[in-house]
Amino acid sequence: MALIELDHITKTYDLGLSKVHALRDIHFSIEVGEMVAIVGQSGSGKSTLMNILGCLDVPTSGRYSLSGRDVSELSDDELSDVRNLEIGFIFQSFQLLPRASTLENVELPLIYRGVSKKERRALAAEALERVQLADRMGHKPTELSGGQRQRVAIARALVTQPSLLLADEPTGNLDSRTGEEIVRLFLDLHDKGNTIVLVTHEPKLAARCPRAVRIVDGLVIADGPGREVAMANAEAMGADVVAQVLAADAMAAARAKEA
Amino acid sequence: MSDAPTPTPTDAPTPTPTDGPAPRPPLAAARKRQSMGFFRRIARFLAEMGDAVAQAVRSLVAHKLRAALTISGVSVGIMAVIIIFMVESGMQASFAKQLSALGPNTLYVHKWAWGVGGRDWWKLRNRPVVNQLDYRALQQNAKLPVAIAPMSGTDAVVTLAGEEVKNIGVQGTTEAFLEAGGWQLHRGRFISDLDHEIGSDACVIGADLEDLLFKERSPLGVQIKVGPTTRCTIVGTLARKGTAFGRSQDGLVVMPLSSFLRSFGSKRGLTIAVVAAAGKVAETEDEVIAVMRSQRRLGPDQDDNFSVNRQDKILQGFNQTMATTNLVGVLVGVITALVAGIGIMNILLVSVKERTREIGIRRALGARRGSILMQFLCEAVIVALAGGAVGVAMGAGAAALLDLLSPVPASIDPRVVTGGVLGSCILGAAFGLWPALSAAFLHPIEALRHE
Repeated sequence: MALIELDHITKTYDLGLSKVHALRDIHFSIEVGEMVAIVGQSGSGKSTLMNILGCLDVPTSGRYSLSGRDVSELSDDELSDVRNLEIGFIFQSFQLLPRASTLENVELPLIYRGVSKKERRALAAEALERVQLADRMGHKPTELSGGQRQRVAIARALVTQPSLLLADEPTGNLDSRTGEEIVRLFLDLHDKGNTIVLVTHEPKLAARCPRAVRIVDGLVIADGPGREVAMANAEAMGADVVAQVLAADAMAAARAKEA
Repeated sequence: MSDAPTPTPTDAPTPTPTDGPAPRPPLAAARKRQSMGFFRRIARFLAEMGDAVAQAVRSLVAHKLRAALTISGVSVGIMAVIIIFMVESGMQASFAKQLSALGPNTLYVHKWAWGVGGRDWWKLRNRPVVNQLDYRALQQNAKLPVAIAPMSGTDAVVTLAGEEVKNIGVQGTTEAFLEAGGWQLHRGRFISDLDHEIGSDACVIGADLEDLLFKERSPLGVQIKVGPTTRCTIVGTLARKGTAFGRSQDGLVVMPLSSFLRSFGSKRGLTIAVVAAAGKVAETEDEVIAVMRSQRRLGPDQDDNFSVNRQDKILQGFNQTMATTNLVGVLVGVITALVAGIGIMNILLVSVKERTREIGIRRALGARRGSILMQFLCEAVIVALAGGAVGVAMGAGAAALLDLLSPVPASIDPRVVTGGVLGSCILGAAFGLWPALSAAFLHPIEALRHE
């Protein structure tokens, strides 16, 4: 059984005068342990899809099952619990609480499942060690670099041991060097068996994922190995994409060499 | 694997840079997590509550000035309400205590009706004064009273060996005064009915006068001058009675009624204190009215041209006045609560606005609407509670000050403290509800996008 099954999902926003069909017919599934990039231009519907995958929103029609449970018609409280128990979110803008310390930020999702303070501390510290930030536990997010902040966000997503890590443009706010650092962290997590879904508009990132799904105007137009999906659209997108895919190849080669 | 949703190191499948590939947690276990037991829910509630309180305190500390302003608004309101109720209950208590000085079973026959407002004044002004004939008629014909004391008084200067004491109440009366007024003798004897019969120069002085004029020596047998011409010989002193209606009762000279009228004017009206046996006040009142009407030769169609007064009539009048004051107190309380509540609502709306993104983040990480609601309600209640605590403290301070500086006894009782604290809690929750609900019902996606 697949971890994620999307069965002809549609999402329509009713704006009164007109209706916006953000998702027309999304139909694919993701197995446990896969790493999938969802790529598309802005306005393609990938953010809407990401919100539905993250149980922040429900589809207009179709069926979404996560871990074998139909989550497309759950109540708000049930969706909150699913987000807490099954999903680890990583956002482009990190979305850390500015006034809370690194450790407190990582503890946050554990509060909503009733873990005691002491246990929260221990689990959060462990998660921060996993992203090599054990020495930054007392720091405020403003005292950290962008890459460090994103690693705190990843620790926060990991601390609940979710079935699915969902990352929205995780390298979008980072320079290329720290972006590479984060990509490697995701690839490592994938190697260790985590299921990861990345939403991105960067062909460079998509090219390094084992699988990519390309969305245009709310429809899946390509689904296959990341490099191929990224290259497939090179004609339409221009030489820049080719350059990016080649850069991605070089990065992947560098990582392989190090390992 | 246990059904506990918290991962433990033994079942930790999430990779660390040091472990090898590990399997994901089994799906069955993942699903099992979703059904929460009762104790899990309690644990979750406690964890959320603890976090909510910590966040609220942190938010208030981060915005000290804003918090201080709101808290002072609440505290001034609570203090105002406490002071109003304290003064009222103090006045009521002291008035009731002073009234009891008049004696619950004592009727006062007088020209004027007590507690009658100015409107009826003109109806009563042509009544004859109560005089010695009325007193004699009551003494002879009324069988129920335990004691009857005619009283007539004025203020005069008392002189002893060139030392003057002003504003001394001079009271002409008979032996029954002691019982009717609830007085106790301190030294010597009280004036007797014989003193009244013969119009002797005997007098009895109150404790204030004794203290002022006789520091060390005994006043008995000493002659004092009362008013411009009257000389009296002190035969006894009265035990201290304290203040009533804001005035000391102990600065007085008691002399036989006949002597008093001779010296200070025989046309003066009397007040006749009639002490009824306990439980027979109504019958005694009827008898007194009957005797007075026959003495005054009133026909059946004529109204009483005298009044029989009782302390509870004054209390009625007083309570009517207090009811108005009470209403004002309640109104002031409601208005201050409203103002304080609006302050709380305002600070909370600002807080919700500022933390919209935080709300989005928390929702994304699994906070339910209830969790967000609780977080903001906690903040509102904490602000209100802080205000309430400060308000109660200021109210207690004001009570102490009032007690010290004014004759009204004021004290803060535990009910006021509990009421203040509980009231501010309810205030916070009531006015925090709307902002907290607006936070709880924010859409997570929109909240996350909020700049």
